[in-house]
Amino acid sequence: MRQSFSRLVILATASLSITLPHLAYGETPAPWSERAVFEHVDQAGFAGVLSKPELDALIAFGETLFAARFTTLDGAGRPMATQAIIPTKRKRAAPATFQRMAGLDGNSCASCHNDPVMGGAGDFTVNVFVSEGFNNADFDTTDPQFSNERNTNHLFGAGLVELLAREMSVDLQLIRRNALALARETGEAQRATLVSKGVRFGRITAKPDGLLELKEIDGVDTDLVIRPFSQKGVMTSLRQFTVNALNHHHGMQPVERFGARWTGETDFDEDNKSDELTLGDVSSLVAWQATLPPPGQMVPTNVDWQNAAKQGAEVFQTIGCASCHVPALPLNSLEFHDPGPLDAAGTLRIDETQSGAVYDLSLLDWAQNLPRNEQGQVMVPLFGDLKRHKMTDRQISAFGNELLSQRFVERDVFQTTELWGVGSTAPYGHRGDMTTFDEVIQAHGGAGRDAREAYLDLEDVDQSALIAYLKTLVIEQ
Amino acid sequence: MIRTRKTGVVLAISAACLTHSFAQEAAVAETEALAMDVPVLEEIAAKAGIEHRYTGPWEHFVGGGVATFDCNGDRLPDMAIAGGAGEAQLFANKSRAGGPLAFEAVEGGLPEGSLKGVTGFYPLNLDNDDHTDLIVLRVGENVILKGGPDCRFTRANRALAFDGGRAWSTAFAATFEPEQEFPTLAFGNYVDRSAAGSPWGTCHDNVLIRPGTGDVPTYAEPQMLTPGFCALSMIFTDWNRSGEPALRMTNDRQYYRDGEEQLWRVSPGRPARAYRRADGWKTVRIWGMGIAEADLDADGLPEYALTSMGDTKLQTLDDEADEASPVYRDVAFAKGATAHRPYTGDDLKPSTGWHAEFDDINNDGRQDLFIAKGNVETMPDFAAYDPDNLLLGTFDGNFVEAGALSGIALDRRGRGGAVVDLNMDGMLDLVVVNREAPVSLFQNRGAHTEFGPRPMGNWLQIELRQRGANRDAVGATINVKSGNDTRVRKVQIGGGHASGHLGFIHVGTGVAERAEIRIKWPDGEWSAPYRVFANNFVVIEKGSDVVQYWYPPETDKLR
Repeated sequence: MRQSFSRLVILATASLSITLPHLAYGETPAPWSERAVFEHVDQAGFAGVLSKPELDALIAFGETLFAARFTTLDGAGRPMATQAIIPTKRKRAAPATFQRMAGLDGNSCASCHNDPVMGGAGDFTVNVFVSEGFNNADFDTTDPQFSNERNTNHLFGAGLVELLAREMSVDLQLIRRNALALARETGEAQRATLVSKGVRFGRITAKPDGLLELKEIDGVDTDLVIRPFSQKGVMTSLRQFTVNALNHHHGMQPVERFGARWTGETDFDEDNKSDELTLGDVSSLVAWQATLPPPGQMVPTNVDWQNAAKQGAEVFQTIGCASCHVPALPLNSLEFHDPGPLDAAGTLRIDETQSGAVYDLSLLDWAQNLPRNEQGQVMVPLFGDLKRHKMTDRQISAFGNELLSQRFVERDVFQTTELWGVGSTAPYGHRGDMTTFDEVIQAHGGAGRDAREAYLDLEDVDQSALIAYLKTLVIEQ
Repeated sequence: MIRTRKTGVVLAISAACLTHSFAQEAAVAETEALAMDVPVLEEIAAKAGIEHRYTGPWEHFVGGGVATFDCNGDRLPDMAIAGGAGEAQLFANKSRAGGPLAFEAVEGGLPEGSLKGVTGFYPLNLDNDDHTDLIVLRVGENVILKGGPDCRFTRANRALAFDGGRAWSTAFAATFEPEQEFPTLAFGNYVDRSAAGSPWGTCHDNVLIRPGTGDVPTYAEPQMLTPGFCALSMIFTDWNRSGEPALRMTNDRQYYRDGEEQLWRVSPGRPARAYRRADGWKTVRIWGMGIAEADLDADGLPEYALTSMGDTKLQTLDDEADEASPVYRDVAFAKGATAHRPYTGDDLKPSTGWHAEFDDINNDGRQDLFIAKGNVETMPDFAAYDPDNLLLGTFDGNFVEAGALSGIALDRRGRGGAVVDLNMDGMLDLVVVNREAPVSLFQNRGAHTEFGPRPMGNWLQIELRQRGANRDAVGATINVKSGNDTRVRKVQIGGGHASGHLGFIHVGTGVAERAEIRIKWPDGEWSAPYRVFANNFVVIEKGSDVVQYWYPPETDKLR
């Protein structure tokens, strides 16, 4: 039990010492303690734009949590709670603490996100089984009628991705507000095109009485929130994903969703550990993930590879890959607010705390090297559009191998995979069951069909050049 | 105060047993012990432009209703408020999304001749046009007002062949029976003051009026519902999932002799008939003042809160009884919802409850129960300071009092009321009509914290539309499913205490950020599931395979 509030000196990665407010356990754990979490971050201790030392300290703590192998002494396990993102009780205690399908399926975040380094992707062996977990909490089969099997994504550049999604959501919602205001003002329906950062998301029609037709919206949820995370693009923020994952994979239940405010209990999963992770703990994990450097493009030492990659970059454009895998999207601000502006109740929101923090990504070394356009915007080289597309058609349906829709997104619709880092994160595809780029390109149906056909029409040398190019998009090690 | 591991369960020393200062300390402790959000409800009636009282002699000891509905086509709830011996008033809602509550009196909106003697209002689209009509309950002739544009109403009694009678009316409910273009109306009447021996044992009969045949509504053939037992609230309710609503009445034992609570079978094409002992109906005698209905456990069988003098009943169908019989158990004590005496202050006498309404005022996904309270006038055996209740639903299915903590424990004699989102911010506000005191208008600021209000849980607000008859889909059931939780709402006209609502139906969804909605339309047809994101106003048209979102007008203009 936590019994006291104090401050602890944490040595940050930059060798600066900074006091990070924390909540300490009453007793000092022995060096051989089997706990993984020795103290908790107190969210009340920091607010506003964090200084570099403060940010470093928070990141450092987040890294320890990301790497921590949680134990039952910390609260790992959820004997009476399911993996569902809405707190849901099991009808009976879980028969086993660990279970690869319904979870717990990982001892730490890093046990899956580790390829090529911590925070990276995962091999097929660390696929996860996505089921909303309300009715099939104890499924123990890989039969796709119970869950969707997904490969582990890497997290590098995730802060930039979330910032892009926030700005794009603001753009789309502003279009909506303007259309509604104009419709009310003129008394005439207003049909508006939803476009942000050059990416089009269909249309809306605003009516003079405030009604909004949604049926022409394309590739984004009807509330016009870009949800950039997960293979489907259904998670709003790193914070939301982190809260989900901590419960699902580790049975570590953050108070901001599983605490007494929303469940009536401080120990919802009934493992005799109360309030397992604080607001500050989750913030530290968000800070660590949000500040991971973006993947880059390496310059091969091999000259033939250099030349091939250069040619491949042109092929990437000419055959249409870049229409969805947009090489770079412009970003206005590097200020990462945590909590963020778009989350719903159950994930900490801006107005729910006095101590919302801003992580200024421009303080980080890697941010100095980000390309900027003429307007001074950061050009985030993600190779994606943060939009969902239908990826199957009658002939090409390999990406339609799931049976369950996820959070209203149909089974064969996925968000464009960001290709940055793809050279470091084989295998490919949302199930991680494609071993080569050639296989995964050939699996593109639906919205990717034209590019696939164009790829197949290429000369061998151009196909090879495209792959040479993709192989240069790596996570720095 | 004992705080258990399941902190939603608060075993509290009854605040009513405490001294005032000790009660305040207990309230602070209770705030800490209450796990769920407690809304900050700030009384701002005068600032918002609502200055109104419900006044008058004995005939206006009861009544004091308010109708919340849109009368000018902007979908914001406007308000018609009974005035008793004073004039009723109509207020147009000028609030903007998330902004301060703002109302303007609509001069001339309600026609002369229907302004005084009003006990209550119920909104209803009676003639299936583009405007909501108003049922005006009065001491004397009841009036049906036909709605027009811009909150203009005209008397329609003659056009509808409706005889408003001379009774003292205090209750109303409406339903659309199968194959009927127009609604069936039920009026509940109180004491017949002209009868010999009045007031004791002289309750007026109640009235059921079915629409006549034809292209326009007519109400020329009332059926007297005899005996009447001084009904103070009534509601059409599908108590047994039969699809055929019955008429539930709560009656005031103060004046009846050998009376009881009543349930009337209202089968299409047949005269209404009261359930009897042989049907399983059991005698319950209370000072029935108000009815609220909610399906708290989403089993399709509604629960009923019945306000009274003393304890409030919370009835659930007895699962050990024959399922075809309307046999009810009172679970108010077990669930902490008796509300039998003031929860704060020094007055230990029994309470007097009036308007009751279920809704999720803290958006945690659990239904809460509001009860307006107040002494009849100066009844010495009942509490004089009798603050309104806000019973928050806890995560284990019980209720816990948060009236004082939320800020609604005013020293006013409450009567009718409405729990409704008036500034379209997703958080329910509260209107309470008080006897001989100003109307209370509470703006919901969000959940109480040490640093000020914070956002509460997620929510949805749903409006149903049909073409042709019954445009507002009265009688429809709305199922909102998130994860394993199903939340059920009904579109109903009736109940409460002389107060009704028509417009968006609010559902708190807690931490669920999306939900699947299914509608059981009044004709029994189930809709396909609609997938919606929380924190939106959703408009569903029968037969449509997609929903539309609605956005309230905002203060600032963009572009």
